[in-house]
Amino acid sequence: MTTGGLIALSPLIVLAAATVGVMLVIALDRDHKRTAALTLASLVVALLALPIAASATTRQVTPLLVVDDYALFYIGLTLAATFAVAALSYSYLENLAGQHDEYYLLLLSATLGACVLIASNHFVSFFLGLEILSVSLYALIGYVRTRQACIEAALKYLILGAASAAALLFGMALIYAELGTMDYAQIAAARPPPGSADAVLLLVGWGLMLVGIGFKLALVPFHLWAPDVYQGAPAPVTAFVSTVSKGAMFALLVRFFAPMNIHAYPSLVVVIAAIAVASMLVGNFSALLQTSVKRLLAFSSIAHLGYLLVAFLASGALAVAAVPFYLVAYFAATLGAFGVVGARSGPDGDADGFEAYRGLSRRNPWLAAAFTAMLLSLLGIPLTGGFVAKFYVGLAAVQSAVWIPVFVMFLSGALGLFYYMRIVVIMYMRAPADQPITPAASLASRPSGAVLAILTLLVVWLGVFPALFIEIIQTWIAR
Amino acid sequence: MSATFYLLAAVAVIATVLVITHTNAVHALLYLIVSLLAVALIFFTLGAPFVAALELIIYAGAIMVLFIFVMMLLNLGQAATQQERRWLDPRLWVGPAILTIVLLAELAVTLSNTNRLAGGSVVGPKQVGILMFGPYLLGVELASILLLAGLVGAYHLARRDTRRERGEKPA
Repeated sequence: MTTGGLIALSPLIVLAAATVGVMLVIALDRDHKRTAALTLASLVVALLALPIAASATTRQVTPLLVVDDYALFYIGLTLAATFAVAALSYSYLENLAGQHDEYYLLLLSATLGACVLIASNHFVSFFLGLEILSVSLYALIGYVRTRQACIEAALKYLILGAASAAALLFGMALIYAELGTMDYAQIAAARPPPGSADAVLLLVGWGLMLVGIGFKLALVPFHLWAPDVYQGAPAPVTAFVSTVSKGAMFALLVRFFAPMNIHAYPSLVVVIAAIAVASMLVGNFSALLQTSVKRLLAFSSIAHLGYLLVAFLASGALAVAAVPFYLVAYFAATLGAFGVVGARSGPDGDADGFEAYRGLSRRNPWLAAAFTAMLLSLLGIPLTGGFVAKFYVGLAAVQSAVWIPVFVMFLSGALGLFYYMRIVVIMYMRAPADQPITPAASLASRPSGAVLAILTLLVVWLGVFPALFIEIIQTWIAR
Repeated sequence: MSATFYLLAAVAVIATVLVITHTNAVHALLYLIVSLLAVALIFFTLGAPFVAALELIIYAGAIMVLFIFVMMLLNLGQAATQQERRWLDPRLWVGPAILTIVLLAELAVTLSNTNRLAGGSVVGPKQVGILMFGPYLLGVELASILLLAGLVGAYHLARRDTRRERGEKPA
């Protein structure tokens, strides 16, 4: 590895060093505030290292990682999202008894895993990044050990995660056995003509890999863990699972499948289209039936990943820019929504039932306004980032004539009107007189309040002035 | 050549299924060791003796011994003697022993006939080392982070002060 390689890897090196550094500081003395501050500071340093990494001359660092503009954009997005999660977690954990320092260690290592996934160019780094992310998440999901639901969620995620990782590994082995290479570019270049016997083995390999990828993204046949894990995990961890973990995996999906022109394999396209349609239908219809806010957001996130797959199926310059824009809008709205859930939660458990939100607009109008903005963005109402993102995806899909998924997307998306607005309506209804009024101080402490304000502004800004952000995406991704 | 592989694979699959179905933990562990031995032998016949040795030393050796130690430590007291006497019951070790004898026979056949190696070439420790500290250097570093994450997670989940976390006074 050369000096240029080390410079290119600097954001990842900062993250790894921060993990070890924070651990050593904890070993000397435990202090929740200091650990959180160190974590936030190291994430900022890693973000500041991005321009340095962009100036590096070496982009391919050993056969495993490639730090190109595409990777740097998503690493930046991941680091920013983790910053928001860490700030929300600080307020959330302050309300809980117990030791909180390991939480930040695991958060940093999970982020490193996500960044490795994004920059991976080789099956080895793919699998190692995935495992670092997953192992950290197992412990993070079960972090609040005194809650039964937390442990249950962690166990479910662990068992299904291990099974899907085995499927992924088997798929990789089949592809390696067939092509003799684990490098994405060489896999894309060496593909046999569609229809031959070799292509069948490759298709099986890709299918098994889709199982592993689909699990992480909670796409429909592999989505069964999502509602339970979303409900059981602490709210900031749920935010992390549904943004950073899914975003990194989606970035990898695009990087892996984009160069090989999946449209040459009609069966693969049909499978992905079917997964997208099923995710949108199951996500939207099941969300209608939920009585828990976190489960509702879980199904809504399943549907959103279906929309993203529609953008993935569409080809062309529009689709290339639509995926990152959609991910940014989805990240902002999801982080904000779970941030509000976390801010409403006390030491006994997360605010999950709809009743916990009744009359929120009177007790805490700012929190209610933020939650409304996030839900409207997830729904895709004009003047929010979600609308522009959905419009962008729809445009890209229509241009490449991906008709069935795009119809399902708009028709099933309309169902969102019912389930998202249900929460909004409850928030603006009068609270029952006998309900105790939660003191405002415990609702949203300063760090999480600041993060929520920024996320709300971001959601509105993306909806009102998307042009500036689209320009940023085009200079970074489509270069 | 392929018959060797299929026999080994069958032993591995049967032993693994028995690990899952057995309710007696020690019984299951014995089968798990057999399963790991079979996988190690598959590596050996594929021409990777170094990986086979690592599989034996790390999995069948260190990790399994750790498992059995933990289980014995959990069973201290009056009942322990009874328990250990029951572990010497032939019913408990006959199954794993038969499977191990199959493995031993295969090992003898493979060693007596070098042409039986399935892989074309033998990959030794030197080649593995060159790859590990050459192109896959970052993989080694990432694996260390993976272990760190596992260690921190296990430490947190297994720590012994749930009482204080529930807001009660420590005993």
